[in-house]
Amino acid sequence: MRKIFIVARREFIEMVKTKAFLFGVFLVPVIIGVFIFFSQRLQRQMVSGPQPTKTVAVADLSGELAAELEPLFQQHNESHADRQIFLELVQPGENGLEAQTNQMKERVRSRQLAGYLVIPKDVLEGNALHDGGRSQYYARGDSLADGKVFQTVRNLLNNAVVNRRCIHRGLSPQVIKDIRKYVPVDQMEVTAQQTKKQDAFPARMMVPFFFLFMMFAGMIGANQHLLTSVIEEKNSRVMEVILSSVSPMQFMAGKILGLVAVSLSTVFIWGLAAYAAAAYYGMADLVNCTNVGYFLVYFILGFLLFSSIFAAIGAACNTLKEAQSFMTPVMLIIVMPMVGWMYFSQNPNGFWSVVCSFIPPLTPMVMILRLAARPDIAPLQIFASIALLAASVPVVMWASAKIFRTGILMYGKPASLRELCRWVRNK
Amino acid sequence: MDTLSLDDVTKEFGSVRAVDGLSARIPAGSIYGFLGPNGAGKTTTLRMVMNIISPDSGRIEVLGHCSKEGVSERIGYMPEERGLYRKMKVRAVLSYFGTLKGMKRRDLVPEIARWLDDVGLAASADQRVEDLSRGMQQKLQFVVTAISDPDLLILDEPFSGLDPVNLELMRDIMLRMREAGKTVIFSTHMMEQAEKLCDFILLIDKGKKIIDGTLDEIRSTYPRSSIMAELEGETDFVTALPMVRGMEHDGRKLEITLTEDGDPQDLLRGLVEKVRVRSFEEKVPSLHEIFVDLVRGHDA
Repeated sequence: MRKIFIVARREFIEMVKTKAFLFGVFLVPVIIGVFIFFSQRLQRQMVSGPQPTKTVAVADLSGELAAELEPLFQQHNESHADRQIFLELVQPGENGLEAQTNQMKERVRSRQLAGYLVIPKDVLEGNALHDGGRSQYYARGDSLADGKVFQTVRNLLNNAVVNRRCIHRGLSPQVIKDIRKYVPVDQMEVTAQQTKKQDAFPARMMVPFFFLFMMFAGMIGANQHLLTSVIEEKNSRVMEVILSSVSPMQFMAGKILGLVAVSLSTVFIWGLAAYAAAAYYGMADLVNCTNVGYFLVYFILGFLLFSSIFAAIGAACNTLKEAQSFMTPVMLIIVMPMVGWMYFSQNPNGFWSVVCSFIPPLTPMVMILRLAARPDIAPLQIFASIALLAASVPVVMWASAKIFRTGILMYGKPASLRELCRWVRNK
Repeated sequence: MDTLSLDDVTKEFGSVRAVDGLSARIPAGSIYGFLGPNGAGKTTTLRMVMNIISPDSGRIEVLGHCSKEGVSERIGYMPEERGLYRKMKVRAVLSYFGTLKGMKRRDLVPEIARWLDDVGLAASADQRVEDLSRGMQQKLQFVVTAISDPDLLILDEPFSGLDPVNLELMRDIMLRMREAGKTVIFSTHMMEQAEKLCDFILLIDKGKKIIDGTLDEIRSTYPRSSIMAELEGETDFVTALPMVRGMEHDGRKLEITLTEDGDPQDLLRGLVEKVRVRSFEEKVPSLHEIFVDLVRGHDA
């Protein structure tokens, strides 16, 4: 046991001294922070920032709506001074509607117009039983802000049509407007602890994703190091010197223990940074002892599982290049929850979420996604998934240790899968 | 007491029998040479002694224990393939391997200083291993092996790649270790070094023991000892002497081989009766000759 700690200590110290580690621990959160900051600003600027005045051309074939639209646009421009839309009324000339439409489309294309709306003659005829004529709106599809313009134009057109229909039927548009006043409804989320107002969509989604990301990055970083260090120890032939003092099992256990310590410190620092960010945005209550506790349990078990696999791969290969072919399937498994994170966090109790929770290599990441998305996953499932994972860890470690023991003294060509199986069976 | 005993040890790799029924006893306080051509099974045997690989059959007893548990700390092992952590500093490397051998960090500090001073690496204590010259790395490798003051030192090809100065240093340290009552086992195919250093020798080829014993024992059992003589006058009569089996001219000297029970003293008497004897020397076969001869004979 003492020797395991000596090996672990060296592994920890040597890894912490590397530039890759310092880079990962301190620069990754900074880069992510900068990225989030700028993407938020950029997005806000595109969608909610001040917009230059847009011009929308409207061809009113009904002849009745132009008068209705003008005051509505004016109202809009007064209440939205930073996103005004200039209304340009056009009439089909002697060349007919088609020629005019082509001309307008050309202006849309050359960015003189944000859009071109054609209101058909029979637009006011719609009622509960059938639609009136359909209007066409021509615009470029290249900008998010233009989508907002479309929504505004559509709303204003509908208001104009409704007003006009009211007048046709002898009703006061203002009365109708008052009657149809929208009732605000707050969405309240019911949880085990307390009832609170539901947060905005992105924040809720980011918490499970962040847990997933920490788990992913924590595992990949340290295990990549494990793989290269085993290959390096093989290549520099230091392995035999080590084996004269410790058994292969002790050596592997020590290396893994050291790396668990490394990755836990990394995750701890990232977690602190993330918590600080969450607190800054007022979401600190989304991170609590329960999900941090679950995170640690799943992280450590998952780390042990993958690091023994990586150690075995390192032992079976002589170069990183050889290791790549073994790495690919393992990486696919690790990446899978990253690819499916939307599904798992939006359907925490969906069929595939439950199934994947009981496939040991997937368990840690899938379960942390589900738990962060919904703290009230059935306790039996939580317990069973931990038990299954915990039971599979010693099995995988045992098999990996067998491969490790044989592989670390094998030089020359890389082992085939069949040879690996034979090494596992060897006594 | 024997430091190490091998009892009918066999190890196969696939269809190749690397070590084949090897038995040997290595007495405490001796320098024991493990000789054989390339691929004879020397490294495999040493690895089995170190319990890095386990034998298919047979029994290995090291320092009175059958398993490495508890004794690995008393053994220093230098593998044939040298290697250290290249990025680590010299002092840190020694400290790491010293603690792995069960030493306390605090006790190691003076030991490391003493050893580095001994081999002339004191100035490099805070350099990285990769910044050392090749010769310095070799010395460091040896210090790593010996830092914990082991009772048994196992060195696989310790002299390969050493320059004459380091070779001398290595020999001195080995002799010093023996004086301190330690046992040194080393494998080599450099017969000259083995001849100078070894108390006992084991010669193996193709995994099998060919001969073992002290150097004198091996020489005495080697049948084809010969006499180098320089005579004045006619020498044809020599072949007719009863104890002579053959004679060859080697320049001005004669190389005379004796029959199985031929006594060199009788030969000298016979020669002196007939001619004047200018020189007479019993030629002891060198280990090199025995080695080549035995291995060839074994192959045949």
